Amino acid sequence: MSEREVLELDVLFVGAGPASLAGAIHLKQLLRESGQDASVAILEKASEVGAHSLSGAIVDPRALNELFPDKSVTDFPFEAEVAEEHLYYLTAAKKIPFPFVPPAMNHHNCFVTSLGKLTRWLGGICENEEVDIFCGFAGTELLYEGDRVIGVRTGDRGIDKNGQKKPQFEPGADIHAKVIILGEGTRGSLTKKLINRHDLMQGRNPQVWAVGVKELWRMSPGSVPQGYVAHTMGFPLGHNIFGGAFLYGMQNDIWDLGMVVGLDYKNPAVDAHHELQRLKNHPWLHSLLEGGEMIAYGAKSLPEGGWFSIPKLAVDGAMLIGDSAGFMNGQRLKGIHLSMKSGMLAAETIAEALSTDNFSAAQLADFELRVEKSWVKDELWKVRNFHQGFDNGLLAGLFNSGIGLLTGGRGWGFKNRISSESGHLKMEKKAERDRYNDLHFDGTYILDKVTDVYYSATAHEEDQVPHLHVRDQDVCTTTCAEEYGNPCTNFCPAGVYEMVPDGESQKLQINFSNCVHCKTCDIMDPYQIIDWVPPEGGDGPVWVNL
Amino acid sequence: MNICVLVKQVPGSDAHFAITADGAWIQEAELPFEMNESDNYALEEALQIREQNGDGEVVVVSLGPDRSQKTIREALAKGADRALHIKEEPPYHSDPYAIASAIANAIKAENFDLVLSGLQSDDLGFGQTGVILGELLGMTTATLVVGTEIQDGKIRVKRELEAGWFQWQTMELPASLAIQSGLNTPRYPSLKGIMTAKKKEIKTVSLAEVFADDNLQEFNGLSVQHVEKQTEMIEGSVDQVVNRLVDVFKNEIRIN
Repeated sequence: MSEREVLELDVLFVGAGPASLAGAIHLKQLLRESGQDASVAILEKASEVGAHSLSGAIVDPRALNELFPDKSVTDFPFEAEVAEEHLYYLTAAKKIPFPFVPPAMNHHNCFVTSLGKLTRWLGGICENEEVDIFCGFAGTELLYEGDRVIGVRTGDRGIDKNGQKKPQFEPGADIHAKVIILGEGTRGSLTKKLINRHDLMQGRNPQVWAVGVKELWRMSPGSVPQGYVAHTMGFPLGHNIFGGAFLYGMQNDIWDLGMVVGLDYKNPAVDAHHELQRLKNHPWLHSLLEGGEMIAYGAKSLPEGGWFSIPKLAVDGAMLIGDSAGFMNGQRLKGIHLSMKSGMLAAETIAEALSTDNFSAAQLADFELRVEKSWVKDELWKVRNFHQGFDNGLLAGLFNSGIGLLTGGRGWGFKNRISSESGHLKMEKKAERDRYNDLHFDGTYILDKVTDVYYSATAHEEDQVPHLHVRDQDVCTTTCAEEYGNPCTNFCPAGVYEMVPDGESQKLQINFSNCVHCKTCDIMDPYQIIDWVPPEGGDGPVWVNL
Repeated sequence: MNICVLVKQVPGSDAHFAITADGAWIQEAELPFEMNESDNYALEEALQIREQNGDGEVVVVSLGPDRSQKTIREALAKGADRALHIKEEPPYHSDPYAIASAIANAIKAENFDLVLSGLQSDDLGFGQTGVILGELLGMTTATLVVGTEIQDGKIRVKRELEAGWFQWQTMELPASLAIQSGLNTPRYPSLKGIMTAKKKEIKTVSLAEVFADDNLQEFNGLSVQHVEKQTEMIEGSVDQVVNRLVDVFKNEIRIN
C-alpha cells in the first residue's frame, strides 16, 4: 500500500476543464480516424469533474460545434440561448443603458451556461471514449529527464499537519507519459513551474489577471427570464478599477450574479467579494433579488492579458492549453470556446506526434502554428490591446477598444502592441479603506465572506500541511503590514488570510480550509511570496452549477 | 468468504436543499452526491476482511437511479470485485421494507456469508435496511458494529453501546452487520484501481424486477421544519450566573 504507484501512459492531460476535456475527446476522434490507439488520461484535483469549474458564463458554441459535428446546440447542456442583452453604466442609484451594444459585446447566438454542467457533460463523453479521468488526484511535481518533461507526480495523501504520515498514507503516484498537456486552468501550479523553468514568457507581456466572484440566487418560480444577459460598468468599481458586473438568467429560477475585478488595481483595500456586496446595494439589483435566496458562491481568477501574454506553448514533452496558457478574450468576456479550441488544436499536434513518435519541443511547436492559423488567433488578434487600454481608466479603455474595432485591434489607433506590467506592481502603498463603510452585513442579503464561503461548500482535510505557502511570514507582520496593510486579507475572496493578535503584535493566520482555489493570492501578493500548491486530492469546493 | 456491501449514493453532507414545487422530493439539479459515509466504512471493513482471509469476493450492491453508478465505480476503484445496481426511478419513495426486500430478492441466490451495510443513510436515515435484510435472508444480525473478527467460521463483533460501553458478541454466519462510522480508516482509490474499475462487472436490474409489491409506508410529502434559535443572555452576579447555568444544564439541557 505504501509503494509508489507508477503508471505508463501515452498522453496525460492535467486538469479536467473544458480545454483538456475537449482535447482528449478530439484526440480520441483523430486516433480512431487514423486507426491508431493510445492511452489517454486526465488528472483532476477535484473530487469529481466540474466540482472546481467556475465561469460566468456565456458560451460561444463554435468549438463545441466543431468538436461534435453530428450534434446541434440543442444537444449541449446549456442553460438557455441568450434571449435579451443589456449593457448598462451604473451610478450608485441609476442604471443608464448604453445607446447600443457594441459588436464585440454582442452575445447573439451564444448561450448562458454553467461551466460545471458543461464539464460534467464533457466528462461523461470522455468516459465513453475510454479516456481515464483520475478525480481526486492533484499533480504536484513535473517529472523530468534532463530538460524533457516525462511525467507528473501526484500529491501524497494522508500527511498530517506536521508533515507526518497518517495510517491511511498513500504516496503520490508517478504518471509517465509521452506528452503532458497542462490544462490546469488559471495560474496553474505546475504551469507556473513550467513557465519559470523554461522561461516561456520571454518576450511576452506579463500576464494580467482579474478575479471573478459570483453568487447564485434562487428566486420564486417564474421570476427569472432564462437567457437574460446584462453587463454593467461604473458602480461600484468606479473608473479606476478594471472590471464590471454580470447578471444572467439560468434555468430553475436562478439568477447568476457576478463581478469581475481586474487584479491591477492601486488601492490595497480593494476586495472583490465586498464589491459584489456593494453592487447588490444598487436599487436595480435589490429589486431583482428581493425575496430570493443565495444558494452558491464561488470565485476564480481569469487571465485578461490577451494575445501578447500567451507564453511559448510547447517544451520537450509538454504543452500548455486553455486558461493555463491565457486563451481568453477579455473584450468578449469569453474563454471557454478558445480554451476548448486550444485543447483540440493541441490534440491535432499530439496525433501527429504519436504517429511519428516524436515529442520534442520542435515537433510540439506545431501546436503554435496551428493556433496561428486558426480562428483563435483571428479572434484574439483583434482585441490584442484591449486590457492594456484600461491602464488609464475606464474611459480611456473604452476609447481604446472603440478605436480598436476600427483599426483591427491597434492600441490607441496606431500601436500594434501596447505593453503592460504585472498587475501586482500597480498596487500603491496607501490603503483607502472607506470604500466599504456603507457595507452592513445582514446575513441574508449583504453577506460577509464567511457566509459566502460556506455556500461554496469548500472543504479541506484539516489535518494536513496548509497548501498556501507563504515563504516569509515575517514580511506579513513587518513590511507588508506597514506598506500595504496586508492586502491578502482583502483580495482573498474566501477569507483565507487573517491577521490575528499575537501578544503586542499580530501574526498571519492561514484559514486554508476556506480556500476556493481561485489563485488570487498567488497572483496579487505585492511581494510575490505566496505559492498556491494543491491540497490533498479531492479537497476544495464542491461546485455543482457555477 | 463472500461479502456483500450495501452502498448508497446520498446528497453531499454540506449540500443545501430545496424541495421541488410539488413537495414530492428534493431538487436534485443543484446537488452534489457522494457515497454515504458509513457505507464507506462498511466497504473498507469488507475489503479488509477479504484481504485477511485471502479468498472470496466483495460485491457492491446499490439501489438508486443512474447517478448511483458513480458511487458504484468508486467502490469498485477501491477494490470491490463486482457490483449489482438495482435501478430505482424517481420519486424515491420506497420504504425500508421495500428496499430490504428488493435487495434480498436480488442477492438471495448469491448466498453471501456476510452482508455489511452502513448504519444508516445520511439522507433518509431509517437505519433499518441491514436489519430487515438480515431477517429476510435468515441471517444473524447486529447493528452499531465497531469491530469484526472472523474466528473458526463465526464472526465476533464489537458493538457500541451507550455511555462508552461496548459489547462483544460471537455470531453465526451468515450475518448482516450494520457498520458504525469510524471503525477503520477508509482507503483512497488508486490510479490502477480507477482504471480496472471500468472493466469490472456492474449487473443492473430494475427495482420492479426484484420487488413488485406495495410499500408498507405511504409517502405524503416533504416539508422544511421551522427551526427557532433562542439565545438567553445570563446577567447578574457571578453566583447568579452560575446558579442559572447549573439550572439550565440540569433542567433544560438535562446533563446528568
